[in-house]
Amino acid sequence: MAKKEKQPETGEKVIGNGLSKKEIKRIRMSKMDKTEIAYMRRKEAAEKVWPFFRFLILFGLCFIILYPLIYMVSCAFRAQSDMSDPTVMWIPRHLTLDIIKQTANAMNFWPTLGTTLFLNIGCSLVQVVTCAITGYGFARFRFKFKDLLFGVVILMILVPHQIISMSQYTEFRYFFGLQPMIADAFGSKVGSAFNLIDSPLTMYLPALTANGIRAGLMIFIFRQFFKGLPKELEDAAYLDGCGPFQTFIKVMVPNAASSFLTVFLFSVVWYWNDYYVSSTFFTNNSTIALKLKNLDKLLLLELFGTVQAQVTPREQILWMEAGCLLAVTPLLVMYIFLQKYFTEGIERSGLVG
Amino acid sequence: MSLRMKTKKEKRKGLFYNMPYEKRKAMYGYGFIALWLVGTAIFFLYPLITSLIYSFMDVSPQKGGMTGTWVGFDNYVKVFTEDQKYRQYLVSVLGDTLWKTPLILIFSLFVAVILNQKFPGRTFARAVFFLPVIIATGPVYNIINGDISSSGASSAGQFSTMFSTDLMGELFQFIGIYGLTDNMQSMIETVSNNIFTIIWSTGIQILIFLAALQNIPVSAKEAAQMEGATAWEYFWKITLPYVSPMILANLIFTVIDSFTAPDNKVMERVLEVRHDWFYGQAAAMAWVYFLIVMAAVGIITVIMNRFIYYEVD
Repeated sequence: MAKKEKQPETGEKVIGNGLSKKEIKRIRMSKMDKTEIAYMRRKEAAEKVWPFFRFLILFGLCFIILYPLIYMVSCAFRAQSDMSDPTVMWIPRHLTLDIIKQTANAMNFWPTLGTTLFLNIGCSLVQVVTCAITGYGFARFRFKFKDLLFGVVILMILVPHQIISMSQYTEFRYFFGLQPMIADAFGSKVGSAFNLIDSPLTMYLPALTANGIRAGLMIFIFRQFFKGLPKELEDAAYLDGCGPFQTFIKVMVPNAASSFLTVFLFSVVWYWNDYYVSSTFFTNNSTIALKLKNLDKLLLLELFGTVQAQVTPREQILWMEAGCLLAVTPLLVMYIFLQKYFTEGIERSGLVG
Repeated sequence: MSLRMKTKKEKRKGLFYNMPYEKRKAMYGYGFIALWLVGTAIFFLYPLITSLIYSFMDVSPQKGGMTGTWVGFDNYVKVFTEDQKYRQYLVSVLGDTLWKTPLILIFSLFVAVILNQKFPGRTFARAVFFLPVIIATGPVYNIINGDISSSGASSAGQFSTMFSTDLMGELFQFIGIYGLTDNMQSMIETVSNNIFTIIWSTGIQILIFLAALQNIPVSAKEAAQMEGATAWEYFWKITLPYVSPMILANLIFTVIDSFTAPDNKVMERVLEVRHDWFYGQAAAMAWVYFLIVMAAVGIITVIMNRFIYYEVD
């Protein structure tokens, strides 16, 4: 019986008492007063129109964001003659890899990519670990001067690197002021070994002591995250005989795995994009970001053998865009595969709240 | 198991194990931050203090470090009286931050509200809006934003951005709005011409707002629906109060982000001066700038704290 009632003749879905959706709505409407009906009508209309406008808005904004990327791809694969062809807007007439190859040569792409990755991933890994340890210390222990020291962390976020970079440079150049003494004692050959400029140590040493690029922010994120974990975890670990360090490694770190990944990814991005800090410590352009920053000069050297060569901006833009594409692609690939951890992780990692 | 461990621990003697539990825990706390403490002393606090000292000195590089003579506030006076460019950049950066920050906030809240709704392709849209975060901190941004600095190629901008054309002016003419004052029109045009910069600096802010929106309790939503709130009322009465703590966070984030960006003009000026070997003056410039930033952040926090609605407190 009941099954038969669920098959209405009109083809409309039956909800209760054998009435169709439309009938229920009519009955409900007849019981409402005018303002309620007006409200329902307006809501219905808005629900129908809004998706259309939402699509328009999002489409437009997405286009603005993606425009430079599309333009990069379009530029990188076109021939130089396409630039002066007015009929070419997006799709190049002559597809060629020449521009990309020239740019990659000028940037010395593959070896540079190797050194960049070595710096990037190494420093990020080290820094994530040290920042997590520091963040945990700030989150879960009470000690004297804690507020003052955490103030220093906040200061690390606020102070632009430009203020401290010069003193850091002298520190590395003269090995914290010891280098002249070492040079006097052991000869200049040994002394020059203690000139840390141009060595990866300039990036690794700060990362090792939780003072690398944006370390303050990372410590802050980890502190917020560890504060959010329940206190009972530690009590249980203590009762089971774990010391604080054991608790951290065996109980806290597994809980923080996704947070670790998010911070690590951000760190990779920051190290990848950094050209300011690295340009202070590296005299030869050895990372992708530095190469890209000086790409115009590198290109002139590569193609014409002199920096003085005159190139019109119309021609130059192709190489610049190709360089951008080369510099962005590794990040983009990473982003496409790990996008979830970027966008969802930041909420979980405790930056918010 | 636990009993046995405890007796084992009690057997160990020494200063550390004779401490009361609380004190011992504090020592562990120091242990956890020790690495950072050493690093910060060397790589952050020491450079910070020396740069403050340099700003009061006439410094020149020497073997093994810097030497110089004490000149008092001379560098600071010089920064404001002699360096025309610095003052000019400072004003322009402050002005830019002043009008861009509210726009960035409003825009990111708007986008976050949209992205919080359910519709097909939402994941893709979120991914796209977050994309600038990955790219915009690097040198790539300078190139796609059209300011290629060297070798006189600055006019290349026209090829890389289409947003520099006077689209807004044409739109006004098309609609038939002529009555606007010049001031008003130029204001609207600056905003519309900078829409690229604004959108490209909203990634993190959108994410933070999104997270805040998802934390609005369902009960509040249902109550508003029962009362027959329109979407407009819902936004002002429910969304905004719940999001307000995050507005402060975003505001501070945006201000700091725009002040410390490496492509910031003031920062570039500091570098220029340093390349000309005026270390003391460069340090003074950086410190003046930093103090202004701190003052701005402080004022914002004090003012905003009056308007924030905290659910728990």
